[in-house]
Amino acid sequence: MKKVVAIICLLIAFLVVYFLQADFFSWFTIAGIKPNLFVIFILFIGLFAGKKIGIILGLILGTYIDLLLGRTVGITGIMLAIVGFLGEYFDKNFSKESRLTIMLMVIGATFLYEIITYIYYIFRLEINLEIYSFLKILSIEALYNTIIVIIIYPMLQKAGYALENIFKVKNILTRYF
Amino acid sequence: MYKNKKKGIFGIILTIIILICIVVVTNTDVAKMSYLENVVSTIVMPIQNGLTYLKNKIAGNDSFFQNIDNLQKENEELKAKNSKLEQDLREFEIIKSENETLKEYVNLKDKYQDYESLPAYVINKDIGNYSNTVVINVGKKDGIQENMTVIADEGLVGHVISVTDTTAKVQTIVDTATAVTSTISTTKDTIIVQGTLDDRTLLKATYIPTDASILQGDSVETSGIGGIYPKGIHIGTIKDIYSTKNITDRYATVEPAVDFSKLATVLVITKHN
Repeated sequence: MKKVVAIICLLIAFLVVYFLQADFFSWFTIAGIKPNLFVIFILFIGLFAGKKIGIILGLILGTYIDLLLGRTVGITGIMLAIVGFLGEYFDKNFSKESRLTIMLMVIGATFLYEIITYIYYIFRLEINLEIYSFLKILSIEALYNTIIVIIIYPMLQKAGYALENIFKVKNILTRYF
Repeated sequence: MYKNKKKGIFGIILTIIILICIVVVTNTDVAKMSYLENVVSTIVMPIQNGLTYLKNKIAGNDSFFQNIDNLQKENEELKAKNSKLEQDLREFEIIKSENETLKEYVNLKDKYQDYESLPAYVINKDIGNYSNTVVINVGKKDGIQENMTVIADEGLVGHVISVTDTTAKVQTIVDTATAVTSTISTTKDTIIVQGTLDDRTLLKATYIPTDASILQGDSVETSGIGGIYPKGIHIGTIKDIYSTKNITDRYATVEPAVDFSKLATVLVITKHN
């Protein structure tokens, strides 16, 4: 029951993130560059709720975004699923207690997501390769994502631990005690 | 000693706070301080009124209070009138905005009367940094199909890339995946105009013929080649021309006629000759 409520909350949070990205951040930009809140959102789910939830929600929500606005269907879903998987990988290998490691995780996830998506678009849509412009946009986007994480980190942590208690608590096996 | 030191620090901090308050208050616009004015007048006015009453009684003149009553009544009437006027103004603004939208539709229809077209609103814009698509509120039910041309009052917007029953996704000309075969209206030279990541408010004109003489401010319009965009739709004007060592590589930037950041109403060309 708790899991169902948590997933409903995550879906509502996704809608909030979507409207923030589509409306607020369409004008609240750094040099015309928007952040990518979806990467932060799915990374956070993977990090705290585990790869299973991260991958499933990444895939569903990414496909939804593609259907709504994308030029091709699938790539956003696949990439967000990878980010969800990456969340658990980061959780196993790094500490999420530190603000710095969370910032580095967000930078890494943003770079991975955008580079693969851009390469896909180059081949799929035959767009011109503009390395300098792409790197400029990517750097600003990663910086913007990092700034957002710095601001919302306490809130992320609180919500994250609540999610962790729901989705990961059974991993603590009492028979070892 | 410690106590004195503590007191000293407290005093300094208090002084700084008072100083900051003074600086802020003295630099604030008086109009913004009306609430403070209210507080002060609430405290002072009864005393002031009492003293004035006494003074007037002594002087045998109490018409002052009658005037105050009249003024209060007048003030209330004026307040009521003011709120009515404010409401009227809001209604007027709504009507004005509706009128502007309708005018835009009429202008668009008149300008492109050779084409059969359908007006639409932009209901959603792209959320990413690398693409530029918009969603409009007409779809299959309204007869919209893929590859139909979309225009605005100022010029070309893009083409439909996918359709649902009630909406259509439009890939704009400033999207990096768009390339439009165009002509320079003065010289009739054919060029390719593409969206670019470098500046997403500009287009890049490439494949400029070596013998073509293009100038800043030249108008660029669709050539009709390619099968999507009909001929003669205004795209924009040449902004800058960049010469390279090899003349075949020279390119120009084109300023789109449409301001994509403010795009709200469009027209979908459903049929053209």
